[in-house]
Amino acid sequence: MPIKTILIDDERLARVELRKLLNEFSVIEVLDEAANASEALEKIELLQPELIFLDIQMPGKSGFDLLADLDRSPHVIFTTAYHEYAIKAFEYNTLDYLMKPIDPRRLADTIQKIQGLESRRSAPASLPPLGALGEQDQVFVKDGERCWFVKLSEIRLFESVGNYARVFFGNNKPLILKSLNALEERLDPRIFFRANRKHIVNLRMIEKVEPYFNGGLLLELKGGDKIEVSRRQTLRFKEMMSL
Amino acid sequence: MYWLLQLGGWGAFFGGSFLVASLFDLEYPRGLITKRTLVIALTGLFVSHLLRVAIKLSSLLQKKIEQSIFWLLLALALASVVHGILVLASFEAFDLYISQEVVERLNMGQLLLAVSLETGSLMLVWLALYCFYHYYADSRQRQLDKLKLEGIIKQMELKTLKAHLNPHFIFNSLNSIRALIDLDPARARRAITELSNLLRGSLQTEQGQLVPLQQEIDIIRDYLALESIRFEDRMKVDWQIAEDTLALSVPPMMLQTLVENAIKHGISNRSAGGSITIRSFLQNQHENLILEIVNSGTLNGSVIHPGFGISSTQSRLQLLYGADARFELTQLPDQTVKAFVSIPL
Repeated sequence: MPIKTILIDDERLARVELRKLLNEFSVIEVLDEAANASEALEKIELLQPELIFLDIQMPGKSGFDLLADLDRSPHVIFTTAYHEYAIKAFEYNTLDYLMKPIDPRRLADTIQKIQGLESRRSAPASLPPLGALGEQDQVFVKDGERCWFVKLSEIRLFESVGNYARVFFGNNKPLILKSLNALEERLDPRIFFRANRKHIVNLRMIEKVEPYFNGGLLLELKGGDKIEVSRRQTLRFKEMMSL
Repeated sequence: MYWLLQLGGWGAFFGGSFLVASLFDLEYPRGLITKRTLVIALTGLFVSHLLRVAIKLSSLLQKKIEQSIFWLLLALALASVVHGILVLASFEAFDLYISQEVVERLNMGQLLLAVSLETGSLMLVWLALYCFYHYYADSRQRQLDKLKLEGIIKQMELKTLKAHLNPHFIFNSLNSIRALIDLDPARARRAITELSNLLRGSLQTEQGQLVPLQQEIDIIRDYLALESIRFEDRMKVDWQIAEDTLALSVPPMMLQTLVENAIKHGISNRSAGGSITIRSFLQNQHENLILEIVNSGTLNGSVIHPGFGISSTQSRLQLLYGADARFELTQLPDQTVKAFVSIPL
């Protein structure tokens, strides 16, 4: 199955050139192009591409601003004319970027890598409900100067901090501008569970369950975080787990 | 360092004399010779120190040798006489004369002249060593300063060059040209010429040199032609160049840097694009050349934290023309920003 792709660059000729290069790759199906971030946001939400080629420097909103606006991030291949500082914000292994003018051999390597990732995630055991974010979906997280693409399956905990949510994964816990309620609506309820007013936990990350005061439960997650399950949610938790 | 050499020098003089006195059998008592030498060394130390203070205060060594030699010789003579007086006075006080005969034969003036000639030879050696050391140290320092200055200039050149060889621009242009090779081969060929001219212009930027405005404008036209490939209809350029300014001299790549800045803020960062006006004319009965670049947009913080383009323009004008040149960046009421340069003719 071809990888559905959108090209985003403010220069028309740069898009023309990229399209021409991609013609050589039958696995890539270019659905559309966008010349700025707002146009791109519309097209991504409408067409749900699996991959985008993204120029970082664009007039108005930058490529990063665009990613921060997306609920779920497709695979991203950054295209840039010069080694930009912005790129350094990333953990390197999570990042694909190509220098313009693009070297066709490097493009081939990158596409091959993404193809590998795509085939591994194909046919998940159970698809998430329509519109919900699945385990394999990745989100773009930006906290100050640092950026990550994080797979939902790697996130063990969301914690409410005012209007923000703290995202726990690996050794990082950056803040994102999203309320816990908004997150709960988008997350797959079979994987992410609202333990109490302040926390959503990833059920696959639970190591230990202990009884707690007032008939509640205490969950211990991988990494050692301990989260209390409120009494009301304990019933739901037991229901879910007994299946 | 001075005291080390000063004490060491006079100490060596005393030690040397003492050694000579002990090695050779002299016709005079050894103790007397030692005392005399000690007196000469101590007074010599004192007088030569006064000489040094005088030389430092008058900063004689900083002047040209033609101007300072007379005063140095005068100071040398004066120091020798003072040294002579001190030596004689000490001999008188401690009764260190070798031969009463000689003393009785000569009057005071002749005696002083004789002693001064002897002390003078000591002072001459001292002064020669002192001057030699200073000229040597100074020339080394000057060499060091010159190297440092050269380093700073090279650094500036490199920085200017890097700023002009904007890699973002170059690689984007190359990318566009690669697309044009299929779409519009003739335009691609022109673009390569334009890019070559621009690169050549950047590489020829040497500090302190001037080029005719015409040459600068040719480079800017090439630059803008390349940018128009990228921005297409988002960029509008209006040239208002006065004929009589074309032959005038301007610092190379200065106007180009300002135009590049205008493109960045007035067009590149704005989705809707914008326009640029480039103007040149004479002012004040042909005393000043005025260069103006007006671009769409608003000033935001770039006055307080100027980028390299702005600060390098300022420092280049300052270096070339001192206070006679002016550079200003102002917000105009119609949502445009004006860069203004005034160069004296």
